[in-house]
Amino acid sequence: MKSIPELEIRGLRSVRGGYEALRDVSLELARGETLFCMGNAGSGKSTLLKTAAGICLPAAGEVLFRGTPLSHMNKREEEMFRKASGFAFQDAALWANQSIYENLALPIRLHESGWSEAEVERAGRKAAELVGWEGNMRERPAELSLGERKLISIARALVLDPELLFMDDPTWGLDEALAAHVSGILLDLKARGRSIIVSSAASDLVSSCADTVAVLIDGFLAAHGAYSAAVAWDEGRLRAVTGRLKPRETVPEWATGLAGEWAAAIASDTTAPKDLEGGEEGQRKKRGKE
Amino acid sequence: MLSNLGRTALGKIDEFLYGMGFFARVLKESALFFRRRKVGFKVLVMQILFTGIDALGITAIMALSIGAAIIIIGSSLLTEFGQGKLMYSILIIVITKELGPLLTAFVIIARSGTAIATELGGMAVGHEIEAYVAVGVDPVAYIAAPRFLGVVISNMALDLYFNIFGLLGSFVVVQLVRPIAFNEYFRNLFTILQPWDILSGVGKGFVFGTIISVVSLYRGFAVERSVTEVPVAGIKAVGSSFIFCILADIAMTAAQYLR
Repeated sequence: MKSIPELEIRGLRSVRGGYEALRDVSLELARGETLFCMGNAGSGKSTLLKTAAGICLPAAGEVLFRGTPLSHMNKREEEMFRKASGFAFQDAALWANQSIYENLALPIRLHESGWSEAEVERAGRKAAELVGWEGNMRERPAELSLGERKLISIARALVLDPELLFMDDPTWGLDEALAAHVSGILLDLKARGRSIIVSSAASDLVSSCADTVAVLIDGFLAAHGAYSAAVAWDEGRLRAVTGRLKPRETVPEWATGLAGEWAAAIASDTTAPKDLEGGEEGQRKKRGKE
Repeated sequence: MLSNLGRTALGKIDEFLYGMGFFARVLKESALFFRRRKVGFKVLVMQILFTGIDALGITAIMALSIGAAIIIIGSSLLTEFGQGKLMYSILIIVITKELGPLLTAFVIIARSGTAIATELGGMAVGHEIEAYVAVGVDPVAYIAAPRFLGVVISNMALDLYFNIFGLLGSFVVVQLVRPIAFNEYFRNLFTILQPWDILSGVGKGFVFGTIISVVSLYRGFAVERSVTEVPVAGIKAVGSSFIFCILADIAMTAAQYLR
């Protein structure tokens, strides 16, 4: 019997600012799996994560957490989902009018109402230590660098030790040392069996942490599969994934990490492939068969 | 052209219905606020401090000036026509029922309306509101409800301050210019002043506070992605609040006098 996925995304459509940011995206995340959403800037990665986390409402489609649709959850189920999930934002999104300590303490106070202030402080400090933050907890976010703010954002997402994590471009804007540190945090979470969805364009991070990859192009899910398979994609498969890129268009850096032949395949091709397994048409066929 | 007109009209109806839905949610969450005050009580205290306490100075100056002006003009002009006592009626109508509540509302629009709309707009642009949702905080319950309650409570309290300064404080100011006998002033004032006069002013404060807070919250939450939307939200909050408060004032005054 097939086990219930930790998170299931069904036919997700999202319209933001008048354009379609997600077009009929369907994905599954198994328990303990690390899924990387990849794609160019504006391809819909962040929107996918936010919609999957129930932060943004979809125009159509559904997101299910352990089989229960987010849209049908009652108040208690929604509280449980929030407690069991954490979201680290691309731009940190710390609450500017609160100290670092308050940023970490609010989720605890909200979900662990029986805890004493000492317990809240202990948990907050533990989360800060986990991401390697050693600064003054009474400082305001504006006093920190972007890298430090991102670390605190990850700490806030981890403060309740959630089983499901959403990480929106966690290494964006970080120097090499901090990016390596974040990569280490991800590996540690992965080793502890957490289910993680990461949006990232950093091929190093993908190669070290990904179990599966999902490639988004213009809001379409161009490909989804095991990372080990993706790195071995043949030319036809690569063309399918990049089917929405114009011929001779520069292959993005994140894509070159998936397969070495990708760039050459695209550069030598003058006609963009329209219908290959894994592309939009492939997805449609697959759904048709089901 | 017709289709454009139709689309615009439908858009406005949609926005109106959305606004009404938002208003209903703010009312509901505010009614439940004191039952689950664990995360929003500090926001309420800060809102009362900013809207109610910090505005005391400007409210007092306005009330003293208007009250003193009415007393000086009334005591010199109306006595010439043998209508000296009419001054007290005018003073009560202007201070407690008409100009007082409206001026207090204008002060709150200028200070707190813009502050709420731009603060929320900034939070929306910085994805702070999304961060609240991500950890399980309902933005309407945590961000909107305490600000709504803070503005409404402060508006009503400021109306009372305005009455105190306008009716009592202005008497003290007038002594410096045109002395009036203490007994005469207060005997005449309290003969004409009825509890309803005070209640009607405070009631207007409740309505204006509701309008200002809901409009400002709505405009702030409407900011989506660009920092340039933030000042626009502030301007729209001020403009809409002024218009709605004046319209509400006309309706309430008409309801009182045309009975």
